[in-house]
Amino acid sequence: MSQTSDLSWHQSTEENGSQPPLSLQNVHVSYRTRAGSVQAVRGVTLDLLAGESLALIGESGSGKTTLGLGIVRLLVDTAEVSPGQIIYRRDGRELDVLSLAEGPLREFRWRDCAMVFQSALNAFNPVLKVWDQVWDTAKAHNWNNRSEVRERFLDLLRFVQLDPDRVIDAYAHELSGGMRQRTLLAISLLLDPQILILDEPTTALDILTQRTIIDLLRRLKEDLHFTMLFISHDLAIAAELADRVATMYAGQVVELGPVSEIFYRPRHPYSLGLIRAVPTVTGGFEELSSIPGSPPDLINLPSGCKFHPRCPFASERCSREEPGLERVGDNHFAACWHTDAVQEDIERNGLRGRRAA
Amino acid sequence: MATATDVSNVSPRGSTSPHSVLRAIWSSYFFRKFLRALATIFVVTTIIFFLVRLLPGNPIEIYVNQLIVTYGMPVHEAQDQAAALFAIDLDEPVILQYFSYLQNLARGNFGQSVLSPGTTVTEVILRFLPWTLFSVGLGLLISFTVGVLLGVIMAYRRDSFLDHGFTVVSSIISSVPDFLIGLLLVVWLGVQWKIIPIGAMRGAYSSGMVPGFNLEFFADALFHGALPISTYVLTSVGFWMLSMKSNTISTLGEDYVTIAKARGLKEWRITTAYVGRNAILPLFTILTIRVGFVVGGSLLVEQIFEYGGIGRMLGQAINQRDYTLMQGIFLIITFSVIFANFFADVLYGWLDPRIKLQDN
Repeated sequence: MSQTSDLSWHQSTEENGSQPPLSLQNVHVSYRTRAGSVQAVRGVTLDLLAGESLALIGESGSGKTTLGLGIVRLLVDTAEVSPGQIIYRRDGRELDVLSLAEGPLREFRWRDCAMVFQSALNAFNPVLKVWDQVWDTAKAHNWNNRSEVRERFLDLLRFVQLDPDRVIDAYAHELSGGMRQRTLLAISLLLDPQILILDEPTTALDILTQRTIIDLLRRLKEDLHFTMLFISHDLAIAAELADRVATMYAGQVVELGPVSEIFYRPRHPYSLGLIRAVPTVTGGFEELSSIPGSPPDLINLPSGCKFHPRCPFASERCSREEPGLERVGDNHFAACWHTDAVQEDIERNGLRGRRAA
Repeated sequence: MATATDVSNVSPRGSTSPHSVLRAIWSSYFFRKFLRALATIFVVTTIIFFLVRLLPGNPIEIYVNQLIVTYGMPVHEAQDQAAALFAIDLDEPVILQYFSYLQNLARGNFGQSVLSPGTTVTEVILRFLPWTLFSVGLGLLISFTVGVLLGVIMAYRRDSFLDHGFTVVSSIISSVPDFLIGLLLVVWLGVQWKIIPIGAMRGAYSSGMVPGFNLEFFADALFHGALPISTYVLTSVGFWMLSMKSNTISTLGEDYVTIAKARGLKEWRITTAYVGRNAILPLFTILTIRVGFVVGGSLLVEQIFEYGGIGRMLGQAINQRDYTLMQGIFLIITFSVIFANFFADVLYGWLDPRIKLQDN
């Protein structure tokens, strides 16, 4: 594919580096509220490796989006990221993202780390044409060659399978939801960022449009080797696009491993619960089991393992001591006292379980 | 219903028949808008014509009463003098008066002032209207600009001391009627503390000044307009501040603003083109509609400051039952309100690409 290879300029430099382009070290995020401090992210340590796509999965309120926004420092004013470190590396340079000043932060955003948001429906300024917003983006990063930017963006629109001439001079309200999402994806590639963060890129789209977006992301991953962090509660999409998966619960990574491990040999009861809660097209409802209870109150967290009040494997120890991430297989880590029991349960009842809801 | 775009679709078919051209004109948005405006003006004109005649008393009676009270003239003498002075025949059936008024109006003739024979209504309007447009227009412009800027600052400094202070002050000021603020300015600044020479500030410009486009005259006009203008600014700036503040706050929460930040745009660009432009959109409509009320909104304030504008003229015309003058000024008010509404539509369609000027 001659066309797609033009789209990424950095590819070669990035893959020879052994250092991961993004490292999160013990990142905490809390929101100040009247009721107290909401601990949305509690000590996440994670490396995003060059060229990989890492999926963050978990329920609403598990801290996935907060973590994603925290990386590009777009959290609301009431949020505080501390303690913790976010280290970004490019071409041998290291940046401490959390201590970047206004100017360097602006440069870091989009050029180094672009983010595609949950709701592309509202992603565009309604009174500016798509092209004006693209041009704004280029200018903000001192790319002032108008015809060059336009050429590049037209290429990208072709890449996301949109009619470039129709979209480039359109206003957002003239585009459908799927077209907006793809346009936003095209803009996110404009500056050829090293890292792409995708926050629920297919939510709020119909199933066929989801398909085109997933195919596009797959091409980004397989042909262009983009480094992607994507945030999703849709396990099917994660299974299809991710190399590695991190399951988040109550602001922590509770299981981390290669995609096949997590989805076929999960060792954390929460990952297993998520998998068993996914419906299949042919299966009936009786095969589904949901995870009982609801996500924990992030102001007054339970003691010990935060999942124990909802966990079918919980023992007395779980309510006292909080487990850390332990190695359970090749590159596979889980934070649970009962990883063996989870394994036995899968062997006995199968991955999808036998319990009726 | 066909829309404006049909105009272009009709001609290529080679059928430039009068019928299709008429149809195209009829279906044009502006043409229908124009017809509706004409109908509105006609109805309002009619209502005003009969309403002013329903006011108790008539111009001659009032004049006669004045002569009796001021000069102690006997009734007959006063009536004779009035009859000799005024060329108006009030005994003519009202419906005939109405038709002759319409006839004159269609020719662009507003008639003569009842009480100042020889002066046409058009002359009076042309002489006094510019001062009202100047003072109210300038006041509106200042309060809009200041209010919008302060509103944005308040939104960006939400919950600061400045925000709370401005919110309280602007809520109080904007809930006091303009004539009260005008009275307070006269009483406090002019009479009690004697800070400003209110006597010298009466009228639209100092006597002896020759109107012209020079700095001296402009300064003089500003001096005379200062009090009404300050009143307009004081009473309306709070509205603009509070509206702009709430619009800005809700725009700041929009996804496209977050994404603009994520794209690394400069703060100034985000504030102006992404936040400001979207937040100010609804205010432009209100602004244009308020422009329409410029003429009518100055009635009480101009009387308080004795400012030589159309509002004070209207007050006089009402007091003396000068029918033709009242009709003329009311017609101008109607006209400007309708035109401003029309202009608001056009402006909004131009500023907001989501709105297309077509119905159906």
